[in-house]
Amino acid sequence: MIERIKKILTSYTSPHQTCVMGNEGIARAAIEAGVNGVFSYPGTPSTEISEIFKLVNHFQTDKNNTDKYPELTSNPTYFEYSINEKIAMEKAIAFSIGNKSAMCVMKNVGMNIASDALMSVTYQTIIAPLVIVVCDDPGCHSSSNEQDSRYWGPMASVPVFNPATPHEAFVMIKQAFELSGKIKLPVIIRTTTRVSHSRGMIDYGAINHENREAKFDRLPEHINIPARTASAHARLLEKLKSEPLLALLKQNSKIVIQGSQAKFGIISSGVATAYVTEILHKNNFLTEVSVLDLGLVHPFPEKEVLHFLNQNFEKVLVLEELDAFVESSVRNLVQKNNLEVNMLGKGFSELTATGEFSIDLLSRVLEIFADTSFEKNKNIPLEKFENFLDKLPPRPPTLCSGCPHRATFYLLKLAIPREQSELIMCGDIGCFGLGALPPLKMIDTINHMGMSISMAQGLYESFNTSDKGKKVVALLGDGTFFHSGLTSLVNAVYTRANILVIIFDNRTTGMTGHQPHPGASRAAKYHEIDIPPLLKGMGIEVVETINPFNVSESISKVNKAMSHHGVSVLVSKAPCIFLPEFKDVMNTKMRIVVDPSRCNTCENHNDTSLSCSRCEAPKNNLSRAKAKLFAEISVPGSDLLCPANICNHGFFNSILEGDGKSAVEIIRDKMLFARTCGDICHRPCELFAKEKNVIPIKKLKHLVSANEEHFRDFSSPVNRALEAPKKNKSVAVIGAGPAGLSAAYDLIQSGYEVTIFEKENKAGGMVTFAIPYFRMDKTGFDYESMQLEKMGVKFAFNTVLGRDFTIAKLNQEFDSIVLAIGMSKSKTLDLIETNVPASKRMDALSFLKSYNQKETVWVEGAVILIIGGGNSAIDTARSAKKLSSKNRVIISCVETAEKIPAFAEEVKHAIEEGVEIIYDSYLESLSAKKNGEIKSNLHSFSSKKFLVPVECDYIITAIGQTSDLSALENLNKDENGRVENTESVSKSQPVFIAGDIRSGNHMSVIGAIASGKKAAIEVRKLLENYPFEFEGAIALERLNSNPTPAKRVHDDSDDGFDIERYNLFQSCKKCNHCIDNFGCPAMVKVNGKVEINTNRCTLCGLCIDVCPNNAIKWEEVKEEKTIAEIVR
Amino acid sequence: MKKNYKILIAGVGGQGIVFLSNIMVEAAVLSNLPVSVSEIHGLSQRGGVVTSSIGLGEYCTGFIGLASVDFLIGLEPLETQRCIPYLHKQSGVIFGNYRVQPYAVNAETAQYPEVNLFVNYLKQQGVDIVYIEDFPPTIDYVLYNIFLLGRATRMNDFPIKADKIIEAINNTVRGPNNKKSLAAFSMGIDFETVPKLA
Repeated sequence: MIERIKKILTSYTSPHQTCVMGNEGIARAAIEAGVNGVFSYPGTPSTEISEIFKLVNHFQTDKNNTDKYPELTSNPTYFEYSINEKIAMEKAIAFSIGNKSAMCVMKNVGMNIASDALMSVTYQTIIAPLVIVVCDDPGCHSSSNEQDSRYWGPMASVPVFNPATPHEAFVMIKQAFELSGKIKLPVIIRTTTRVSHSRGMIDYGAINHENREAKFDRLPEHINIPARTASAHARLLEKLKSEPLLALLKQNSKIVIQGSQAKFGIISSGVATAYVTEILHKNNFLTEVSVLDLGLVHPFPEKEVLHFLNQNFEKVLVLEELDAFVESSVRNLVQKNNLEVNMLGKGFSELTATGEFSIDLLSRVLEIFADTSFEKNKNIPLEKFENFLDKLPPRPPTLCSGCPHRATFYLLKLAIPREQSELIMCGDIGCFGLGALPPLKMIDTINHMGMSISMAQGLYESFNTSDKGKKVVALLGDGTFFHSGLTSLVNAVYTRANILVIIFDNRTTGMTGHQPHPGASRAAKYHEIDIPPLLKGMGIEVVETINPFNVSESISKVNKAMSHHGVSVLVSKAPCIFLPEFKDVMNTKMRIVVDPSRCNTCENHNDTSLSCSRCEAPKNNLSRAKAKLFAEISVPGSDLLCPANICNHGFFNSILEGDGKSAVEIIRDKMLFARTCGDICHRPCELFAKEKNVIPIKKLKHLVSANEEHFRDFSSPVNRALEAPKKNKSVAVIGAGPAGLSAAYDLIQSGYEVTIFEKENKAGGMVTFAIPYFRMDKTGFDYESMQLEKMGVKFAFNTVLGRDFTIAKLNQEFDSIVLAIGMSKSKTLDLIETNVPASKRMDALSFLKSYNQKETVWVEGAVILIIGGGNSAIDTARSAKKLSSKNRVIISCVETAEKIPAFAEEVKHAIEEGVEIIYDSYLESLSAKKNGEIKSNLHSFSSKKFLVPVECDYIITAIGQTSDLSALENLNKDENGRVENTESVSKSQPVFIAGDIRSGNHMSVIGAIASGKKAAIEVRKLLENYPFEFEGAIALERLNSNPTPAKRVHDDSDDGFDIERYNLFQSCKKCNHCIDNFGCPAMVKVNGKVEINTNRCTLCGLCIDVCPNNAIKWEEVKEEKTIAEIVR
Repeated sequence: MKKNYKILIAGVGGQGIVFLSNIMVEAAVLSNLPVSVSEIHGLSQRGGVVTSSIGLGEYCTGFIGLASVDFLIGLEPLETQRCIPYLHKQSGVIFGNYRVQPYAVNAETAQYPEVNLFVNYLKQQGVDIVYIEDFPPTIDYVLYNIFLLGRATRMNDFPIKADKIIEAINNTVRGPNNKKSLAAFSMGIDFETVPKLA
């Protein structure tokens, strides 16, 4: 770098040939012209000119260099990036009035605000030369419009040069300095992107080291008063006819090609000349055409153009990018001089006032214009390349990896719910405008520089007039804030606008290459202005600085600023990654890695062909990200396993996202009974979790399945069954309890033909007959069960095994059998059976069945003793109490209050309803009196001592169930009468056992459902070699081996609760949160998983916070990277 | 060298396209070749497309048109493919397999193009093509540009000679990066691509 600066400051006595960018040529030419000061605001494509002077100024003011290189530093050039182009222009004018030569540099749109100064000073006077460089951007590579700056010539009555090449730009700058000094008028050099950003050969020459004395003469021209302006205007127009200018007009109107038999005349200006010259030389089309290049386009070189037109061309074509600026003057000239010329320009062939020219475009235009063909000189193009081109993805620019703007947008995404609201976000010019593109999409408007705050306050007022004065948000960068946002903000405060302004303070002017500004001066010679005190001084009440990398803290501040009525301002302050202080953001001792097993992976299924009803919409993923940041209770999905393998992660997060429909569907991906489980599930997911980690899944099931519309719509599972590829195999299911129904549900969706044999007249087994109706929605359960009919399952009711059919018979008709006949007999106690008359005793199942069928005929006001401590004992007790409130119901159970196996909430309800429980007791003896009264003696179970006598009218045994296997032979039964293994029922063909009858299986609805699902997998393994194990195996085994995991009261009220307290995280194949919402370019998706490209990662670590599943983490590295290696 | 020769360098911001272009310009000046360059890099630091085109010869600008590029150096496979219209049947092409996936590919709204298909297509079209599928692991990815340039100097009609490029690197790159650049350049010159068995 220092070599480059030394070279640019070296004076050469003989021409020194070099190849440099147009902008560097311009800077060098200004140095050769002896420029004393350069004033600028950065903007593509002009910036490189100013950057050179920034470096030159730095070099020349460095004490070491002044000693070491006196010849390069003797006449230092002042340089500044002013806060905007208006100030740059005004200061350059003043600098010239102080007798120092000046150059003012900007891009096209900069002239719009700078023109105020220019329009008046031309009427007055400058003293030392003043050259204005304006760089236009045809085709808008990096600008908000493609305005044609040549118009400032006639508008302000100043000369305008329009170079075609870097070389011309170099020459013209020197001419411009000389001219400006002679006629005491600012002179404009207007370039375009293809001149500024092209490199070409330039001869460096001698540098003018003339030392101008600073001085100020009290000239009357320095005071602009109306009395003097009219005459001043006349004097100004005279300057445009002055001798030095006329000489330059001649010099810069060059015949670049002179055809010996020219029929065609071309007048071209700017980069068009470079294209035309190359095309005509390449095709050797030099005889029939003459080309006049106009390098000084205002004032118009009438004499030279007239001379050219007098060559009797058949046709004359004017070539210039953008507007018909030269063309209009030529046509004016033709008209004034009554010339008969066939003039062509804009509108001819493909020539328009928009976009850039190109070699191809001008080749085609010239072929038509000169009625010729350049075909023979063309290379042979490749064939059918469109096939490749059509498929190529676009590559729009993105915010850099580690960019603090992305961090700010991300936190705003979480804080301000855009999808659900009409909040308007007014953006501005700068890097951060990329936040309008996917995946951020956080900007609704971008206009010219500094418009954001005005747009927000104007929109606010327009809504205010129609009584909808809601807050509008303005977003702008720190550089833009000082450039033109500040004045607009004063107006917003003054008019009491209700807006939130967010200043993206990345400590530099990022877009144009990291120039300083008043808020980030980066040099001791400048005074830095701290934004918050400035804002507070203006009377803004809510001013908060946020660190965008601290997402959760920042979001609270955003919420505070949003809720304030009036002007509130957030300064989101963190350095651009290209600044040295970015090292404080990154962690160079670590690297970031993604655990692929936690990224975009379904943790619920091994068989990915299984249905997943989780919604994929990325916007919904935001709630997971928010939950990670704000939830009080964070629980991994693996802590809340369901034996039926319901995806509790998908279920919970769908509800969190407000998508109750998907939540119901996710339950039904696995089983029929959304509402039933919401009512009566044993909830092992919750009971096995640590108490602090409990998320009320059962309650959520209850709440979401209460939505009647969602509950009624079974179309998805029904369609899955109807559309499943048929296996042409049949399965018989014996028993229509929850186990049999669940096996049928899975098998029918896997394409099997399924028939269910049931001894009762309706489906449901224990759920239908034994669970009392006040505990659950019986109609809902019937609705759920009978969906199987719609799915194609056949039911044979009132069909009894052993009476109506045998296993052997089924074996002949079906490919496999699932036996799920349940434990339909209550266990009894001989003590009761022998001593109590049949009318005074019942078993629990018989009692509950008659209760549910409303057939109980016991007298009211009876005393009823129930023996047992399980759920059926409590159900029986509550039912007995509900038969008549006058009934006295007493439970005797051997367990203590802590150990009673029934659900804690059921015990609680029973006690609340007046049921008495005698814990730690057993029925030692009883006797029935003649009057029907039963006298029983309860003893303590622990001490065996007499406890209490109970005189009762009825006694119910509720000590568990046993099976009725009378129709089956050769069974290996366990001590409870349950079937041991699958092979035992039929030797010829395995019969699979499910539900309560299966030895060791948990006696509960969820246990039955899971075991039915397990049996379905066993059938599939047999009949189709299905390769996967039962997915709920871990949770089911855990439940089987620990039937009463924890005593906790379930909240079964209908009250809602604050779901946002919870975060349930788990890796999910449908995640993609970071790609869909964050989009750091260091994140690459390979084979469906996110990877970190360490070459692009800047180690900010924000993605670690972004990942809802904690899949991204730091990893220590052996060799620390240098900052230069990370940011390059 | 033919009378006018155009070279195009294509890639993504941050890959050192402008740097490579500067080296080649310096080498051209040292070879007494008239040289012009055109660059588009408005948002280069923001991960966008960057191209630099070099014209060698009198009345030869750095601007390119359809079927006008005689030699293409691709620093990124997708961006190399985007330059197809500028190639012609006598063009030379060298490019390396260092991929920078655009957002659309990560978001799975578009697919990264098939590179082998493209290489076969170029061969079938008669283009002189060298495709570096695997860079030598000892080379830092930031020097792939110089490495490719080294290999390019061995290809048919490449107009700038290796010794002038070495001189240009010595004039342009100072400090420890000088050695690294020269080493990458000479590794490129010596590199043999091993055709992979199908």
